[in-house]
Amino acid sequence: MSLPRGVTTLKEVRDSCRNCRLRSLCLPESLSTADIGKLEEIVHRRKPIARGDYLFQAGHPFTAIYAVRTGSIKTSTLLSNGDEHISGFHLPGEVIGLDAITSDRHPSAAIAMETTSVCEIPFNSLEALGEQAPALQHQLVRIMSRELVTEQGTAQLLTRRSAEQRLAAILLNFSDRFANRGLSASRFRLPMSRLDLGNYLGLVPETMSRTFRRLEEQGLLSIAGKEVSILDKCALTELAYGTGPDASDTTRSGRA
Amino acid sequence: MAATPTFDRALLEKYDRPGPCYSLYPGLPHLHKSFSASEYHQLAQASNEDPIPKPLAVGVHTPLCRPRRSGGSSHGTAIRRTVHASEYLDHLKREITLQAQLFDNDRQVEQLHLDDGVPACFTDEHLMALLDELARQFRIASSDDREFSLRVDPRSVTPERIVSLAALGFDRLSLDVQDLDPKVQDAIGRPLKDDQVADLVAAAHHAGFRSLNIDLVRGLPGQTLESFDATLDQAIALHPDRLTVHDHDPSDEASRTPCRSRAEDLPSREGRLELLELTLARLTTAGYVYIGQDHFALPDDELARARHTHRLQRNFQGYSARADCDLIGLGVTAIGKIGDSYSQNVRELSRYYTRLDTGQLPIWRGHDLSFDDLLRREVIDRLMCQEWLDFASIEARYRIVFRNYFAPELAALAPLADDGLVMVRRGAITLLPAGRLLLRQVAMVFDRYLNKPQQRRFSRVM
Repeated sequence: MSLPRGVTTLKEVRDSCRNCRLRSLCLPESLSTADIGKLEEIVHRRKPIARGDYLFQAGHPFTAIYAVRTGSIKTSTLLSNGDEHISGFHLPGEVIGLDAITSDRHPSAAIAMETTSVCEIPFNSLEALGEQAPALQHQLVRIMSRELVTEQGTAQLLTRRSAEQRLAAILLNFSDRFANRGLSASRFRLPMSRLDLGNYLGLVPETMSRTFRRLEEQGLLSIAGKEVSILDKCALTELAYGTGPDASDTTRSGRA
Repeated sequence: MAATPTFDRALLEKYDRPGPCYSLYPGLPHLHKSFSASEYHQLAQASNEDPIPKPLAVGVHTPLCRPRRSGGSSHGTAIRRTVHASEYLDHLKREITLQAQLFDNDRQVEQLHLDDGVPACFTDEHLMALLDELARQFRIASSDDREFSLRVDPRSVTPERIVSLAALGFDRLSLDVQDLDPKVQDAIGRPLKDDQVADLVAAAHHAGFRSLNIDLVRGLPGQTLESFDATLDQAIALHPDRLTVHDHDPSDEASRTPCRSRAEDLPSREGRLELLELTLARLTTAGYVYIGQDHFALPDDELARARHTHRLQRNFQGYSARADCDLIGLGVTAIGKIGDSYSQNVRELSRYYTRLDTGQLPIWRGHDLSFDDLLRREVIDRLMCQEWLDFASIEARYRIVFRNYFAPELAALAPLADDGLVMVRRGAITLLPAGRLLLRQVAMVFDRYLNKPQQRRFSRVM
């Protein structure tokens, strides 16, 4: 059945960049309506990826960047000893694949942590469009800058010495990212497994659970399944970024 | 929280209807065969992913040389085939290996429970081999942080055996006594010698069991008020930490007596109510605290303490003071509870063997709980354990509006509130003393499956 001209289907409304609830985090931010229209033409909405499936593999040729619409993605690289190292977690509104622009190949793999849908933005078309729409170019640079800041934050995070400090810092980081999307900053569901979070933070799973339990015992958090509630944000911030003495040396460098 | 339930005959008669016991919700009849071993694999792996994964519990079930039961349990097995214990043990070990692969190795086993068939059929050498295999494949919590329990038929063990079981590490014992009157024992085909139970209890105390439970059954053929009074007398004199006095329902297929007792031997419905009244009066006078659902405990027992501090939980053995565990079921018909799912192993020994021989878990059926299941399970559990339920905590956790979501249930609760079973006020449901003996009846209001077509027969509420 074909619809009369000029009638927009629900699917189009849902899929369009201008109606996307994540637009303020993504490429359309500060674009004119006309420019958003052009962007919509090159954006390809992929079928949802199942949990555990690859969006792209490390070493694959770079053709597009991706914006997470729903679900979550982890990016990982292989260390020289064959172990996996998780380099980042990506939530809706965040853009991945930018690290491949320099080498034309993806340096890391991207794997869905749950059923995930993404927008694929072919990079050649995006560059061409950027020449006509300087605002888009500018927004792309801003997103890259944001990624750099996140990266630096991670580097800082891992130099925090105690397991509790690392965990406190990453939870505050997630809290901010959920809040950016208009979700609760104090209660959210961790999309990644204990193993993956431990890998990212450089903590073995057992230390990971012990650390969560300690923060819970101190009344900073409460945990039910994968859902985390931050009960005392001040104390958690103090723990993560305060200058108190190191709590313990439960930190181990082993990658799980 | 009311200390003693109120016995109100008129109310008990009015509400005496069959109902499930809610040791799991939804109950066993709602497990379905489309639940596969691979689904179990996924759920087990997902259970490792929580920031703080639950500790593990292991339950072992055996069909071997199991004496026929005449009451109490609501999930007896139909298999009576005798097989070689060593062959069965062999397969249990295979199952342990397959299960252990699924769980992260830092997750400790904090609870182990052996069904009453296990000590009856396995020698100490078998049991030691079983425990060794478990310790080899899983990490077992240190003795202060764990609970190793077993249930035994007093006819199948000697006092010496009780001592050797304690030496193997078991520290909680439940004796399935049923009745201490020789006439009743004859009628149900479970004769016990004078002092047989007393000797076992003495051995258990001597061997250092931390907790002892005695299971009795009211409503057995030949039971009279006088005879049961004497049974309660003897049981109280043994000073067990816990007493469970199940109701025997003659209409319940699963607990039908083996001796096809004549109907006139069975206590009438009125008689069963009198037995309940007697049990309550005798046990509370003797200092036992009513925990709920036929369970009594001494005030310093951990169940009574947990009830007092609102930490009481429910599991397959009834009530528990222990943290919620992921339960791994081993053996034919064994039940597992992993994450938000239930599963049950195959019933037939031959299928159990074949599946394990081909390297597969012998999962028969299961159920992955839906949002509605989880929500209702929590409501029922809170009513059963805390006897109080505030809407706000449920609303925060499940993001619902309690009064809207449960509008029909709250309406159905109104007559129960009029009868003084519960109080619904200020955003909370509180169980009143008159409702404590009709706990199931209150829980049934929230059971979504009860209104579905495939009605099953349950033992009566009372």
